[in-house]
This record gives sequence, C-alpha cells and structure tokens, in this order.
Amino acid sequence: MNDDVPARRLAALTGLALAATMALWWLGSSRIALDRVSDAGRASADALQALWLVRGMALALVSMRVAALRGWHPGMAVGLMLIAPAWPVLVLVWSASTLPWLTAAVLELLLVAASFVLPLFGQALRRAVPRAESAEVIATSIGLALASAVWVTRALWAGLLR
Amino acid sequence: MLRCLLLLGLALCGMAHAVEPSHTDLTAEPAWKGWSRPGRASEIDIRVTAETARRTTLEVVAGLQTVRADLDLQPGRTVRLQIPVSSVERVTVSVGSPAGPSERRDVVLAQSESPLLGLALVTSESVSIDGFHSVSLGADDLPRNSTAYSSIDALVLDAPTLGALDQRQLGALLEHAAGCGRIVVLNTNERVRRLLDGAGGCGGHTLLNAASLPEAAEKLATSLATSVPPAMSPGGVGELTRPAAGIWQRVVLCLAVYFAAAALAVLFFSSLPLLLVTPVLACAAALALLHAAQPPSQLLVWSEGESGARFVRYQASQRVQGVVRELTRVPIPPQLAGSARACSTKRAMSFGFDANRGLATFAEFETRLFDQASLCFSGGFPTTRIVEAQDLPDGSREVRNAGTMAWAPGWLLAGGLLHELPALGPGARTLIGSGMPQAPRDAAMRTALTRTPADGVAALWPLELGGVVDAPIESKGWLLVSVPRP
Repeated sequence: MNDDVPARRLAALTGLALAATMALWWLGSSRIALDRVSDAGRASADALQALWLVRGMALALVSMRVAALRGWHPGMAVGLMLIAPAWPVLVLVWSASTLPWLTAAVLELLLVAASFVLPLFGQALRRAVPRAESAEVIATSIGLALASAVWVTRALWAGLLR
Repeated sequence: MLRCLLLLGLALCGMAHAVEPSHTDLTAEPAWKGWSRPGRASEIDIRVTAETARRTTLEVVAGLQTVRADLDLQPGRTVRLQIPVSSVERVTVSVGSPAGPSERRDVVLAQSESPLLGLALVTSESVSIDGFHSVSLGADDLPRNSTAYSSIDALVLDAPTLGALDQRQLGALLEHAAGCGRIVVLNTNERVRRLLDGAGGCGGHTLLNAASLPEAAEKLATSLATSVPPAMSPGGVGELTRPAAGIWQRVVLCLAVYFAAAALAVLFFSSLPLLLVTPVLACAAALALLHAAQPPSQLLVWSEGESGARFVRYQASQRVQGVVRELTRVPIPPQLAGSARACSTKRAMSFGFDANRGLATFAEFETRLFDQASLCFSGGFPTTRIVEAQDLPDGSREVRNAGTMAWAPGWLLAGGLLHELPALGPGARTLIGSGMPQAPRDAAMRTALTRTPADGVAALWPLELGGVVDAPIESKGWLLVSVPRP
C-alpha cells in the first residue's frame, strides 16, 4: 500500500497543476472580458470544456496503466487524485457559465465513474496477460487510444456544453 | 331522490355562475400612432377597466423585456398607464392573475427605415421634408415618457395641440426639447413663447417657432442641415470608469489559498479520504464566499449642456456585476426611473412598475459570476450654471461665475487642454491658463476633451449624486458645460 503513495502524490500534484493552469487561463480571460465590459460566459464555457477534456484524457492515460501495474485500488486512487483537485475551480467556472447544473453534475459524475471503471479494465488486463511489462504496454496503448478518442470527439462534447 | 338531484343541479348552476369570470376591458394604444424606428423606444398607453373589484397583474412584453404592474381594479374606474417599451415589431399586453382568465392584446409597432416627421396639427394641413416619412398625430398620440420621443426625428406641432397636452406630455416634450430634440411650434402666442424660451438644448437651435407650416418646413430643413452634438451613447457612459474588480480579486485570492492548502495537504498527508476532503471543503468555501458577497453596483451619470441653459441632458448607466447564478433584483433610483431600460436588447430583463406613481421601481434579471448587466437612463435636469470666459491679450483666460450659485472645483477645457478651475462663488472670477495645463487623469476627462471642439471652451465638474435615492455607493457623475463663443 505504501508503494502507492508516491504515485498518488504525483497524480494529485498533476491534478493540481492542471487545475491551476486552467484557473490561470480562465481568470485571465475573465479579467480581460471584465475590463472590456464584455461577456465572460464564453471564456467560462471554454474553460469548462477544457477542464473536462484535459482531465478525461489524463484519466484515460494514467488510471488503466496504474491498475495494470498495481491493481484496481491504486488505479482508482490515482484517477480520483487527478480529477478531484479541479473541483473548486469547476464550481467557480460553472458559476460564471450558462451551463445547467445538471449537465455539469452529470459530466463530472461520468468522470468520477470512469475513474472507478477504467482501473477495472486495467486489473482485468493484468490478470489476462501473464507478463507485467506486456500488460503495462497494452494498458498504455489502450489509454492512448482512449485519450485520442476523447480528443477527436471533442467537438461532440463541446456540442453537449452549448 | 329527485328533489336531491334537483337541489344538487341548482347548487352546481349557482357555483358555475359564481365562478363565472368578471369581464375586464383592456385597450392598448401605441404612441405616435404605432410608428417607431428600429432600436429606439416607444410607449404603450394602456387602459384597464373591470366590472368587479379585483387585484390583477398587467404584463407588457416587448422582445426580451417585460414590464409587470400590480393593479387594484375598482368597478367602473379605468386604470390608465403609459408604459415605455423598446421598439420591437410586436408588443404583447395582457392582464390577469394565475387564478383568473387573461385578456391579451397585441400591439404592432411599424418600424420605419426613413426618419420620421411627426405632424401634430389640429388642421388637416401637411408638409413633407425630403427623406422623411410624415405621420399625422393628435394630441393624445404624443407620449408621456420622454424616452418615447426617440421614435421620431422631428416634430411640428401647433399651439392648439400644445395647449391640449396634459402635464406629463408637456413635461416629456420639454425634456425632449432640452435634449436637443428637433421641434417646431406653430402660431405660438406670447405665453407659449415664454414657456419655451430657454427650454431648448443645443443653444436653442433645435426648438423653433414658426408662423406658418411652410415656414416651419423651411426652418426645420435649415435646422436639419446643421448637426447637433449627439448625446453620449449608453456604452460610452459605461466606459467612463473601469468595472470594479473586487469580486475577481476575491476569486483569485480564494483559488490561491486553495491551491496552497491543497499542495500542503498532498505533501504532508497520504490518506485518500483526506486528500479528497480538501477539494470538497474548498468547493463549499468557494460557494459560501460567492453567496456572502454583495453584487457590486455602480451608477455613472454623464450630463452636458450649454452655459445659461435651464436644462442639461444626461445619459446614465447603472452597472451590476453578478456574483452567483441567481435572479438579481436591483432597485431603480426614482429620479431616473422614468427612462429606465435595459442597455442591451439581448438581455432578458423584467421591470416592476408602480401603477400609482407610473414609474419602474426595480429591475430583475439572471446573473452569474463576472456577468455584467447594465440599466440605461436618459433625460434632463434643471441647472443654473452660467460660465463666462474671456480671452486676455497675454493668452490667459478670465473665467467668471455669472450665475447665482457657487461652483465646486472643476476643470476648464480650452484649446484641447485641461486646466484646474477653482471653486467660484456667484459673480467671482479667476484667471486660467497662465500655469501648465493638466494631463487628463481619467476617462471622464478624456471624454470631456473629445466632446469639446478644438476651438471651444467648456467646464467640467464632478456631479454630486447624494440626492439620488437608491443610488449605489460606487456612483460617479460629471457635468460638462460648453461656453458659447462671444
């Protein structure tokens, strides 16, 4: 269990860094909109989309790979540590957007659900593939494919947020 | 059994009669015989009569803007209201309550692409001006709200029509005249001349008298050939100061504290529940912070006129910054309520209207964090600033307060330069221009300079807005008085 702590810390710091970057960009855009007496809602909609897109891709890349190496629980913990630090930013950005709260809640719950489900596949992969190195490579490849799919279909997600 | 059924039937008939709705008579007539221009404002004259005493709600919907008024109807008494509306093709007027039936009228506003010339004459005479669309009007077609005068571009009215106007119509007409509205009055007698003397803005170049209709047309054509300084746009008023950034700074601080706390938690703790509790608590704190904050509100007033004029025209904007996603209610200062409207027709806004006072009392609209909604006002107010400026041979200027009231310190604008103007009592004078000119310190000074001709002289003062009831604390106003050249 103690071996998981560095990975969890790294994931939490990565999640914090992602959230801080998005917060910085959103605050900058909002300040420009405020100074120009224009609508800050557009920047907020973009920030919400980016928050879900970036965390979704990071989750796809990391959680299955960690679960393939160390099991479901570490994979789930790493996934939650990636997405949870952005929650306060998400609440503030949502407050500045026009997105209905139900849509935002459903999307965030989907992300939380993914952090529980993806490690299950990672664990199943580890059991199916005898060699840990091979399981890691396969999990990483699947994660990359998933992240690419999230990126390619971003227009679809953006449509849901309008 | 049969008797019971008969009694039941009678009782049901009685109940049916008892719940039969009382009849409400609703009429809605637009000002200017329904003519207006795109993007301008108009007015709907509404009469409501009921057969029985009842409380009801009047609702006027024009585009995304709604006006609601609670009416206390008494049998045989007609409630009459003049509601200012933005100029849209169709305005819907309805009365009713959630329990009772609703009467509804649709009012169509004709949107003229050509400038409109209103002819309020008791005779059937007519006149045309190139490019203008003429509309014949009766006294009752003239509005009671000065903002509705923006529907027309010029007005010719005769003395009998002027005499037939009620007090509110006359007030709106004079306010429009003070705001440089182009008006020609026909066949005025000495009493009317005295009433109108000095009431016209822009040096009186737009409020004219004529003895006949052809002369009125000629004078109007001459007046139209000279441009009058345009009133400042609502957007321009909003740009006079930067929006308050207090809420933004608070959000930045909140996020900075959160990221610092979360980083420390990650470094010193490894428990998954503890690391998850940190962002959850931060979410609760962020929401509490937003709900505890008061939405910042700021009233900006820009007024301008000529030295010696009895009225100056003003444009005002009340900016409200959203903090949380909620329906925000903003009280409207009574002194400005006559012309209250949403600055943007793209924002849904509803106004509460006091039927007894005939004024909007509050505005309601959806807000969210960093959202900025603005209410716009315009009109005129009386003033007594008389400025005399005389060029001296050494290049300096002598400025005299020729009025009866003392001035606060302000600035003199001359030759594109800005000089400090000290406080002056009635009749007092000062020398300006011997020292170094000042650089414009803020957007108001820059605006004053751009609105003063390069060879013109004007004085700028900060406006005291303490007397404006319900004005936000963060309110600012300016008065720019141009000095006519000798």
